[in-house]
Amino acid sequence: MLNILLSGILRGGMYMLIALGLALVYGVMGIPNFAHGEYYLFGAYATYFALTYLGVSPVIAILIGAAVGFIFGCIIERLTFAPLRKRNTGEWVTNAFMIGAGIQLIIQNGVQYLFTANYYGVTQLFEGGIKLGGINVSYDRIVAFAIAIAALALFWLFLKKTKTGISILAVADDEVGAMLMGVDIKKIHTLTYGMSSMLAALAGGALISMTPAYPLMGTAPNLAAWFTVILVGVGNLSAVAVGGLMVGIIEVTATYFFGAQWQNVVSLGIIIIILIFKPNGLFGRKSKV
Amino acid sequence: MKNELYNRLSAPLKKIGLSPLSVAAFILLALFPFVSPNAYITKLGITCIMWGTLAMGFDFSVGYINVSNWGYAGLMGLGAYVSALLLKFFDITPWAGMIIAGCTAAAIGFVIAVLTMRMDAMFTALLAWFVGIVLQNIVTALPEITRGAMGLNVKPIFRGASPTPYYYLILAICILTFCVLHIFVNSKFGFSFKALGQDIEAAKAIGISPFKYRTINFVVSCFVAGLVGGFYGHYIGVLSPNVLGTKNVVQILVIAYIGGRGSIWGPLLASFLLMPIFESMNSLVEIKYIIYGLVLIISMIFFPGGICKLPEKVRQIIKDRKK
Repeated sequence: MLNILLSGILRGGMYMLIALGLALVYGVMGIPNFAHGEYYLFGAYATYFALTYLGVSPVIAILIGAAVGFIFGCIIERLTFAPLRKRNTGEWVTNAFMIGAGIQLIIQNGVQYLFTANYYGVTQLFEGGIKLGGINVSYDRIVAFAIAIAALALFWLFLKKTKTGISILAVADDEVGAMLMGVDIKKIHTLTYGMSSMLAALAGGALISMTPAYPLMGTAPNLAAWFTVILVGVGNLSAVAVGGLMVGIIEVTATYFFGAQWQNVVSLGIIIIILIFKPNGLFGRKSKV
Repeated sequence: MKNELYNRLSAPLKKIGLSPLSVAAFILLALFPFVSPNAYITKLGITCIMWGTLAMGFDFSVGYINVSNWGYAGLMGLGAYVSALLLKFFDITPWAGMIIAGCTAAAIGFVIAVLTMRMDAMFTALLAWFVGIVLQNIVTALPEITRGAMGLNVKPIFRGASPTPYYYLILAICILTFCVLHIFVNSKFGFSFKALGQDIEAAKAIGISPFKYRTINFVVSCFVAGLVGGFYGHYIGVLSPNVLGTKNVVQILVIAYIGGRGSIWGPLLASFLLMPIFESMNSLVEIKYIIYGLVLIISMIFFPGGICKLPEKVRQIIKDRKK
């Protein structure tokens, strides 16, 4: 039982990072980012190549992965969502969703074309492990969880304490109001999208020894991140942390009792229950039409 | 004089959801197997009509009530498996099987709609996507029944190797779908759908129930997916869980979006223009999907109206010239 709880929490740490980026982009830019899992993929590939070809230490490699995620996120936002925002005539959410789908297709298949469908992974980043309550936990998992918590804390400080962070929250709250107060909306949008990609890429990099890099690796985290966001309620940033842990525990429990192939079925069941009884999410605010 | 004839023809046709132009187009399609040089070209025709029908069903939701159904391939695959398994285990004829397949997909669509239609359209898209993935997982997880990833052999409907009977069957399904969707769109339902798609708050203010009309629309659209899916299984002969995958959803929505939202005929026409190109790119594997992605992004940014808005644009340009 403790075993399940522990691996659920360790897995949930990463979902927190991924889902936070997703919730942020939706909150600030109104984009239901369907391509979010693909930034996780960028992080994993970049970290792998940094580790094997540059031969840097694991922590640096993971940071390189995150940086690559940030840069690609910014470039992609400039190339797609920025022109869409300029020309869009309505139905922003649907159009943005479709663009996300397009980005996902291009990245998944582009990566498969460049690196083939092979798995790129490393066996471990740090040797050894410790015993927690009678269970062996490798250092890799602990480091990954520590990175997740540290990144979350730093990001939270950034949002609450720096001027840029406050501007991001202001745009999420009221775009026109923020613009009138002199916030450069375009810059904030690019930055937000880049940051959200960075968080996902960080998760991808930190998990490289557990999930190797391959073209379709983004699908599962994308699903889990959406599950988290629906679970806690769309547009609720602080509850995402709790939601990430919950999703981690739910998935591990479902795998333990029913087997990996039924994991998504259990998740769907929970989503349906949530939609029936608390359609705004567990901690959600309004989202009805 | 010419206009008068056109009007006299179009009035009765409109009642069954057709126009003189679409009747002419369907007659041409019906003559196609006679001029088709070989079986391959006829099969290409089947592919075009099949994906076009799916895209019409998809457009019925996305173009009118602005709900994109991300589980569309999942529902279509569900229909294919339902009809195939009914034939295999219960010996139920594919004719009934296809109808049951449509009803099963409609039932799943009804559940999705009941759960999410009170909320933002994004929730419907997400839940449908989830349902599609879960259906795919279930098919893979039950190899005793569905043979999972090994592939399920489906018995054909017609004897013999000629694709012509299948061509007429899918054409009939296509015309039926076209007519029914048009009857819906031209009735008072259609106005409610459009009102809901454009501005939910305003539609609610004049007494249109979003929940009721969006649910009706969604269920009809899902029925089409299941029905065509049932046909697909018997026609293709082998089913694997990949049929239910997101890649097929993307194929449908690329066709639907390039065809243009809210026209029904746009997606059908787009299928005839695009599917031959897509089919010829099958050997390119990844590049094909990269092109899909690019096409999707570019069309979203620059031509959100799609093909069905072209006549309007041309008319506008001519008008401007005359000034």
